[in-house]
Amino acid sequence: MTPEDVLKGLTGPLSLRRRLFYVAVGLAGLTGSALIALLWATEAALPARTQIAFAVLIVIGIAWAGFGGWAVTRRVPLFARDRVVAAWLGMVAWLLFAAGALAIQRSPGVAVVVVLLGTIGAINVGFARRARATLRQSLPD
Amino acid sequence: MSDESLVVRCQLGEREAFAELVRVWHGTVERYVRRMLSRADDDVVQEIWLAVVRQLPRLRQPGLFAPWLFAIARRAVMNQLRQSYASPDTGPLDESAAEAAGDPLPDLLDRELIDGALSALPPRDREVLILFYLSDLPLEACAQICAVPVGTVKSRLHRARRLLRAELLRKGYEA
Repeated sequence: MTPEDVLKGLTGPLSLRRRLFYVAVGLAGLTGSALIALLWATEAALPARTQIAFAVLIVIGIAWAGFGGWAVTRRVPLFARDRVVAAWLGMVAWLLFAAGALAIQRSPGVAVVVVLLGTIGAINVGFARRARATLRQSLPD
Repeated sequence: MSDESLVVRCQLGEREAFAELVRVWHGTVERYVRRMLSRADDDVVQEIWLAVVRQLPRLRQPGLFAPWLFAIARRAVMNQLRQSYASPDTGPLDESAAEAAGDPLPDLLDRELIDGALSALPPRDREVLILFYLSDLPLEACAQICAVPVGTVKSRLHRARRLLRAELLRKGYEA
């Protein structure tokens, strides 16, 4: 077995596209289920079948979010640069959620949730950038 | 480029750095697996590298890459040995013969002859000899890899040297 054979077997975990795909899938699932949950919570007197449909869609979204989270923690690791990209993707997901949430309902409660999630996203970007910078600084010139 | 720099570049996400890391360490990993299992096993080697990729972002001290890598390799090898034997601690050697041998291992021995004799040793004794003598790791690193105190590594080394010497004598080697 040569090093090239080993590397061929590691194509999946080392694929940047695949890692970011799992991040995007997870974020899409999370954003979708959050928006549906918000819609469900703010719509009065929905028919039973609509409520069931919403519940199923939320479960599907959470399942995709769980799968994405599991994939990037257990199957394909996120390296420092990937974490920065993933953190920015998180901010994009937050923007989509904020736009959707404010379109569904403009209330102080929704605004607080949007601001809170945005703050968490921004802190996450900061952590990811700092971790990458720390690693870069530890490299000799 | 030092191992530490290479590991940091891998942690940053540079794919070329990982290819270089594999090229530098693949031979060492392959030899360790072959000596521990007494045969080449590509599946175990691949499993080790897969675990390295998955766990590398969490490695806190890139300077300690070698003991960290051997710890991963050891887990994979031990899993393989557990599947192969009901009891990994039982070995084919006669302990009384080893007791009679006594003397420390001479420094210069034919490595191929040692590889053959190593395969007859119990896995725990075999691994400390491989890590300390054949992989040139310090006692502290061996202790970290085997997850035992340094004193235990020393006692295992002492016992392993006696067993190896007895095995070499049995095979007709004259010190």
